[in-house]
Amino acid sequence: MKKLWTTFVKDVKLSYTGLYFYIEVGMAVIFMLIMLFVVPENFDQTQTYYVYVDQSLSVPFDESQLASESTVVERFDSRSDLEEALTDKRSAIGIHLKEVDGKFTYEMVLQGYESDSMKALIKAGIEGEFMSAMPGYVDQTSVETLEVQSERMSDREAVLPVYLVLNVGFMGLFVIAAYVFLDKEEGVIKAFAVTPVHVWHYLVSKIMIMALMGVVTSLIVTIALVGFKINYLLFLGLVLSFNVFGSTLGLLITSFFDNMTKAMGALFFSIFVMMFASLAYFMPSFNPIWLKFLPSYPMIFSFRELLLENGNTGYMVQNIFLFFGLSAILFAYTNLRFKKTLTV
Amino acid sequence: MITVKNLYHSYTNDQAYAVKGISFEISKGEVFGFLGPSGAGKSTTQGILTGLLPLQKGDVEVAGYDMHHRKRDMFNKIGVSFEQSNVYNKLSAIENLEFYKKLFDVNTVDPMKLLELVGLDKVAHKKAGTFSKGMKHRLTFVRSMLNNPELWFLDEPTTGLDPAIARQIIEIVKQKKAEGTTVFLTTHNMNIADELCDRVAFIIDGDIKLIDSPRNLKLQFGEKLVVVDHIVNDQKIQDKFSLINKEDLDKLNTIIQTGRIEMMHTKEATLEEIFIKVTGRGLE
Ligand SMILES: Nc1ncnc2c1ncn2[C@@H]1O[C@H](COP(=O)(O)OP(=O)(O)OP(=O)(O)O)[C@@H](O)[C@H]1O
Ligand SMILES: [Mg+2]
Repeated sequence: MKKLWTTFVKDVKLSYTGLYFYIEVGMAVIFMLIMLFVVPENFDQTQTYYVYVDQSLSVPFDESQLASESTVVERFDSRSDLEEALTDKRSAIGIHLKEVDGKFTYEMVLQGYESDSMKALIKAGIEGEFMSAMPGYVDQTSVETLEVQSERMSDREAVLPVYLVLNVGFMGLFVIAAYVFLDKEEGVIKAFAVTPVHVWHYLVSKIMIMALMGVVTSLIVTIALVGFKINYLLFLGLVLSFNVFGSTLGLLITSFFDNMTKAMGALFFSIFVMMFASLAYFMPSFNPIWLKFLPSYPMIFSFRELLLENGNTGYMVQNIFLFFGLSAILFAYTNLRFKKTLTV
Repeated sequence: MITVKNLYHSYTNDQAYAVKGISFEISKGEVFGFLGPSGAGKSTTQGILTGLLPLQKGDVEVAGYDMHHRKRDMFNKIGVSFEQSNVYNKLSAIENLEFYKKLFDVNTVDPMKLLELVGLDKVAHKKAGTFSKGMKHRLTFVRSMLNNPELWFLDEPTTGLDPAIARQIIEIVKQKKAEGTTVFLTTHNMNIADELCDRVAFIIDGDIKLIDSPRNLKLQFGEKLVVVDHIVNDQKIQDKFSLINKEDLDKLNTIIQTGRIEMMHTKEATLEEIFIKVTGRGLE
């Protein structure tokens, strides 16, 4: 342990005098500034209404009445068609027009992320725009939510999970590889290898330095964007477990190559594949099953839960354990590989 | 201290061996010179003995440890100085030594004393990155002395150093030798080998051609020469005469009896000349 600590302290000294530390911190600060000052809290979007007009309706309905500059209206022939369309387009709002006991009414079919104030707005919008003008309209509105546990984040917050996964989980792949190859190039690994230390001392120290950088940079950005309204203990757990996983994966990939140029392709490819998970995150309609097996998928959705007011703690804790566990297995294998190849 | 039996090594894991079945033994307190031209397999052998390269084929025992089952604590007894300096450029000289010092489980030497030994004490707090090649080399060299090694590997300890510094290093090695340290010295500088080594091995193309003491080699292969500066027809000329060759001896006799000799001395064959004679190859 003393030797690990000595090595870690040395790595800290080296890294804060080195380039990568400043690249990481610089990137965090730039991202933070862009999010705070360039990106609006919510992106402006036109609202799409999906309408299904029930057979029971006796009065004619003309959807063009509802359309305006900021609204698009589309009509469907059945309730199930409408719901299906809604799951494909998560930003749309469904309206089911019908007559109950001879009285004209409607039902809002929502996605689940809409806040109460939004629901009120939508309702006011629908009624204000034309419903109330319909003959015999009586307020018997009922709301059905497809996803029960769901809240709406600001767009600014919604980007954060992707940034965190990139920063914490996968930027590290490159940086830790760069650290190892730098040591190889300078030959210092050989000098280290002829002292009574173990290869794992070397590797764990690198993982620790990455974890330190990961925690510092993600804290900067997260505190700046969401303040102190989230559980920072869970945050730390997620950041650390994902970071350790990313670093270990980076080390494993590194162990197959003898210089950065050769390793670059494999590293870039892994990050590219991992980032597919962010597609499912931003476009819920794109959600093939294989995507869920990417490590980045649970990472992004764990951070999402963390940012939600009533996030699923069980899901987060489960993932923290999962990633620490996976890291341990990966590490055992990586250590075995490096025992043979680190100094060659 | 070191036993090597039928050691082979291939970087490509095939029949293209960089080291081809070499065997030798080094006893405690001995300074053993590993001599050969560039690419002979010297560093490769040292790499295997120090555990930096995997032991593929053959048997190697180093400081009592079987290298097939390496144990990390063997490095408490071993010091390794590298051909290419490898220090942390971003740490100062003293920080470099302090860091490595803490990795040992045995008594270590005061880093400042080591820096003094090679004249780096005045720049102890300067970043190693600002050092000249020779300074970095000296830092790499003294780093290998931190744990007072029983067995000391030196790969080209004087190559590329100016003569005064090279001399300093040689004196330090001599001192350690006197204290009983076993030294595995890799070099292609025959003069240094001659001065320091109890025995030398000539290695070429991954193969050891012979192992003996410099003295025996000279007795065996070196013909004694007499170098004579004499004046013939008002011109000063230099001639070399072998002391074993009958014809040469006759000529020498004639000069002594009839010529005008200015200067005359005997000359021993150098280790380098012997190397060329034995292997048919130069050292560069
Ligand atoms: N990392 C490597 N990969 C492939 N081949 C190598 C490697 N290192 C050395 N070799 C080859 O192995 C042979 C022996 O090299 P080695 O470095 O042991 O020679 P050396 O005797 O130390 O030479 P020098 O005096 O130049 O240091 C050479 O043919 C060299 O090209
Ligand atoms: Mg060499």
